[in-house]
Formats: sequence, structure tokens, C-alpha cells
Amino acid sequence: MFKIIVCIKQVPMVSELPWDSKTGTLKRELAQGMMDPASRRALEAALQIKEDRDDTHITVISMGPAMAREILYEAKALGADTGVLLSDRRMAGADTFLTSFILAEYIKKECPDFDLLLCGSQTSDSETAQVGPQLAGELLIPAMGYVQSIELANGMVRVQRHVDDFMEVLEMDLPGLLTIDQAAFGPRYVALEGIERAFQTDDICVVNAEDLGLDKNFNALKDSPTRIIDVYSPATRKENLVLKGAVKKVVGQLFDDYGKIISGAMGKDLKTHEHEGAK
Amino acid sequence: MPLERGTSMGLPCAAIIKIWSLSVDFIPCHKHQLIRKTVREFAENEIKPRVSELDREAEFPFDIIEKMKPLNYFGLQVPRELGGADLDTISYAIVVEEISRVSAAIGLCVTVHNSVGIYPIMKFGTQEQQQRFVPAMAAGESIGAFCLTEANAGSDAGGVETSAQKTGDEYVINGTKIFVTNGGVCGTILVFAVTEGERDLANVFIVEKERPGFSVGEIEDLCGMRANPVSSLFFEDCRVPVDNLLGKTGQGLKIGLNALDAGRIGIAAQALGIAQAAFEDSVSYARERQQFNKPLAKFQTIQNYLAEMATRIDASRLLLYRAAAVKDSGKSFSAEASMAKLHCSATAREVTDLAVQIHGGYGYSKEYDVERYFRDAKVTEIYEGTSEIQKMVIARHILNQPS
Repeated sequence: MFKIIVCIKQVPMVSELPWDSKTGTLKRELAQGMMDPASRRALEAALQIKEDRDDTHITVISMGPAMAREILYEAKALGADTGVLLSDRRMAGADTFLTSFILAEYIKKECPDFDLLLCGSQTSDSETAQVGPQLAGELLIPAMGYVQSIELANGMVRVQRHVDDFMEVLEMDLPGLLTIDQAAFGPRYVALEGIERAFQTDDICVVNAEDLGLDKNFNALKDSPTRIIDVYSPATRKENLVLKGAVKKVVGQLFDDYGKIISGAMGKDLKTHEHEGAK
Repeated sequence: MPLERGTSMGLPCAAIIKIWSLSVDFIPCHKHQLIRKTVREFAENEIKPRVSELDREAEFPFDIIEKMKPLNYFGLQVPRELGGADLDTISYAIVVEEISRVSAAIGLCVTVHNSVGIYPIMKFGTQEQQQRFVPAMAAGESIGAFCLTEANAGSDAGGVETSAQKTGDEYVINGTKIFVTNGGVCGTILVFAVTEGERDLANVFIVEKERPGFSVGEIEDLCGMRANPVSSLFFEDCRVPVDNLLGKTGQGLKIGLNALDAGRIGIAAQALGIAQAAFEDSVSYARERQQFNKPLAKFQTIQNYLAEMATRIDASRLLLYRAAAVKDSGKSFSAEASMAKLHCSATAREVTDLAVQIHGGYGYSKEYDVERYFRDAKVTEIYEGTSEIQKMVIARHILNQPS
């Protein structure tokens, strides 16, 4: 049995973010939840391994409020086998350091015999990219970040990742942890049959601080060594720009001036005039 | 751990996908939320970028259909052992609503295939027929169609002239069906025909498109639903084995009416999706568009329109989910389905009309989607039983109650 653990997080839906325009803060209580896009890629990586090897078992773990069950059901609908929610008022407000600690406590206690641990590279709501590597630190296992492809071999994994202008091929012994690059493992859509199946049994395992054996004085909000002082939307300035002239010239100018912004927004590497010219 | 508000699934329902300014708390189940989210994501990513072009070119999007197949869109309520998703009817309605919110024509393909294509086989077919026909349909490999309407028969099913004469262990079907949804791409066709004898008997036959004598006419040039290949179908000495008779001989009318009851829930969902899209576009346009130095949304007239649209849509949705819930309870849902269909389709027509009005000249232009919604909406009052027929069904139900 090849045992994979995927850590996933529920984040506010970007398209529906309700910002308080007066204070510039996010009304989190009104935000709709969704599975963090990077977590979805990590899960996709696990699902692709499962497609290749029948004896794969996928456990998805999330830490968050009761509402985070939604994404565990979604993960099960996609093909995960077991869903675990670490949820307790005393875990709320954990920074990345304590989040990794709590996740590690659960893994050490309930599934210490895992082969591969997968995380997204960074969540869409805080983008720290810290939980994965810190979790490997807590579990004393090797880790590699921003992985774009995974190949399993006897007791180890061979991965590729993009570093500057190079592709790097690396090998790592298992058990180990990988974080999945935001450009790799494009996630699949959920099949409706999977949703019906996922909800047939109400078997998301919910674990609280006591179950984990955390100290009775443990309080993540107080004990977190790092604190967020403020989150706000920097005032944006809108400007209308009219490009005039021949279409070819105007489009060329648009790509020259804004190509990076456009490709950033689309999440795609656009070939600009310069690149094509260079080739 | 204490959960918030309890639901049927024993789940908290803190997050309900916002489908407009008000949350619809009527669906308290996380499963339905996830289904809505999943289908919306698919429709917006895969269908939306192409929807104007498909309408303009009257093109059936085989590539999109291909992507829908593995996601079970063609076996919504088919049991898992036959390759379906085994969804309840509210889920089914949500799927059709969300696809139709982006493309009513693809929503039409899905709902007709699932309701009047597959449902009658599941309800009246023998186990052998279910095994024979349903897996390919549920996989989307064979698209379903249902044909009742003819040149001289529609609302009046008694006027059907297509005949099916029994010779040995075969039936020979002759006749022409018109306005068949999915006609141009169908693989498995339910045909309504009359078998003459001592008494004329109405029968429904399952015809595979490969049968000699079956052919497809030209695709209709319609006002709306243009991406759906609605066409005539011809049966010229088309022979099918007696095993292709659905249900018992003479059960045709019963099967037809049952199929239409189920179909009406789907069409109601489709109409609701169109209305929802028109409403959402209107809200964002009213916020953006400036006249007399203020956004349209600041004018009370426009606010009244929006309030009216939202209320009608909300009422329609409640009627629809009620009909779906009654169907799942196993009780007769004929009147509920007719009420839902009557109200949802009227809502679609009225809301899309107001949406064009709010958009003004732009609403009349192909540059915006609302003119497509407007064209697509009208037919929901016509097919799967006209609004007039729905009122007949509802009235019959009222007057058949003991006084």
C-alpha cells in the first residue's frame, strides 16, 4: 500500500471576496469558501499517482473551522479515500509555525507510516509557502518545493522543477514531502458521481485539540510566535488608456507595455513580440 | 464538536453559494452546494468562452460534450451500476439550471437526454432494455431524444399519425416527427406511434439511429436554442424488434405523460437558469451604466425592475425545488411539475424582457448576452407542454380533488 497524505486548506473565494470599502478589510465571515487552488494541484498530483498504482491510499487533512468539511467532501468526490478535519477553537488563529506543528502532531499520532506527503506550494489567501517546509521539519523528513512532475521508483521519488531558466531533476528518499508548483498538475473537474458517493457516508473524521493530546493550556492564537498586525487592500488607482493607430502597432505596443501584467493575470506565459523575434 | 444549524446531512450550512443578492437557504445540503459549485465552474470555464459563437453559428459543441461525458452529465439520475451519478432530483435541477445559466442550448441537450430520453427507459423499461440502452446513454456515447410532435400533433397527442404495425416479431414504423430536440445528434430515440388494430393503441418504441429506414432531416433554423440541433426525424419502413417496445402495448400515452412530467422539471430548471443569467447581467449593468451622471441602479424604476426580477426568480426556484422534492418522495408530482414549468418559463420570458429593457440599445445588440437570453427564453413556454397545457394539467388536478 502506497500511502499519500495531502494537506489542503479552505480559502475565501477570490471572485466573491467581500471587501469593506470603508475600512479596506476583508469581511471574512461573508466570504464563500473554496479549496485553495494550490491544494487542489497537490491533490491532483496524488490522484494521478493513484491512477497509476491501484494500491494507493490518499488521506486529505485540513485544519480549519467546521465549514472546512466542504473541501474534504470535495476531495473525497475527486477520489481521496479518507478525510480528516483538525478543528478546535484553541487551534484557531495559528500561524504557519503552529499550523505545521498541529498537522505534524496528527500525522505522528494517526498516520506515521505514510510514504509521501503533498502540499500546495502556497495558499491563495496568505501565500507564505511556509507550512510545507515547516511540516517536513517537524516530521524530520526530506522535502522539495515547487515540484512540477513526480515519478515514483523503489523507495524514492524523482521530480522535476523549474529553477530560473533551468529544469532541475532531483531524487529524494521516501518518506518525504513535496510541495506542488502552481503551474503543474492542472486539476480535474469533479465528476457528479463522485459527489454523490462522497456524501453517501458522513465519515469525515473530526479531531479536536484534546484528541490530539495538545496541552490543556494550548491556545494557538496566543502561542503563535508570529502575528499578523494588519491586512488591508492597498488603494488602487485606475487609469484609462486609449491606444490609437494601426491594429498591429497597437497590439504590439500593448504586449510590450503590459505583456507581463496580462500574462500574470492569466497565469499563462504569453509569447511577446520580443521572444518570437528572438527565436 | 458542536455543529451549527443541523441539516439532513448532519452538516453545518454556514456557506451557501450566493446565487444572487439573497442566499437561498432553501437547499440546506452541502451536497447540493458542491454540485452547484462544480457545475458552475465547468460551465464558466468550458462553455462560456464559446457560447456566443455557438449561438451565432448554430453549432453543436461536440468538444464540450466530450468533456462533459466523464463528469456524468449524461447519466445524472442513472444508477451507478449502469454508469450514472445516481443524483436526486434537486441535484438534477441544479445541474440543468447551472448549465443553462451559461448556455440554455447545452442545458436543453442535457435535460432532454436525461429526462425524456433516459427516464422513461428507467421507469418503464425491462431490466434487459435498461442494460441494453442505458449504459451507452449514461456515458454520453448515445444522445437521447424523444419524439411526439408531428405536423398535426403536439399538444394533442391523440393526433399522432406515425404508425407502428406489427409483423412477426418486428414493428414497422412509418411517419415523420418534427421539432425533435437533439434530433441532429441523437443515438437513442423514443418514438411515439400508433399501432392500428381492433383498437388503436399508442406505443412508445426505442429506436437506435443505426436502424435502416431512420433518417434525420435538416436542422431547424430557430429563434433561440440555436446550438441545439433541433430537427425532423423520418421513419420509412423502419423495423425494430418487439423487444424495443417500451412498457406494455397500449401504454404509450401513460409513458408519454410520465416522461413529460419529468421533462417539465428539467425545462423549468433550464428556464430558471436563463432568468438567473439575465438577472445577474442586469444587476452588473445597472451598477456600471451611467445616465444623468449616476448609475442606472440609482434610479427607482430600475430598482423596481431588479426587485421584481429577483422575487420572480426566487418564487420560481422554490416551486422548482418543491416539484423535485415531491418527485424524489415517490409521490405523483404532475401538478407540481406543471406549476414549476409554468412559472419558471413565464419568469424567464418576463425577466429576459426586463433585462433587455435595462440594457437599452445594447440589450438589443448581439454584443451583449441578454438578447440571446431573450430569444432562448420564449421557447420554454412552448415545448415540453405549452403554458396553456400546463394550466390544463393543474386545473385537472384541482378539479379531480374531492370537493
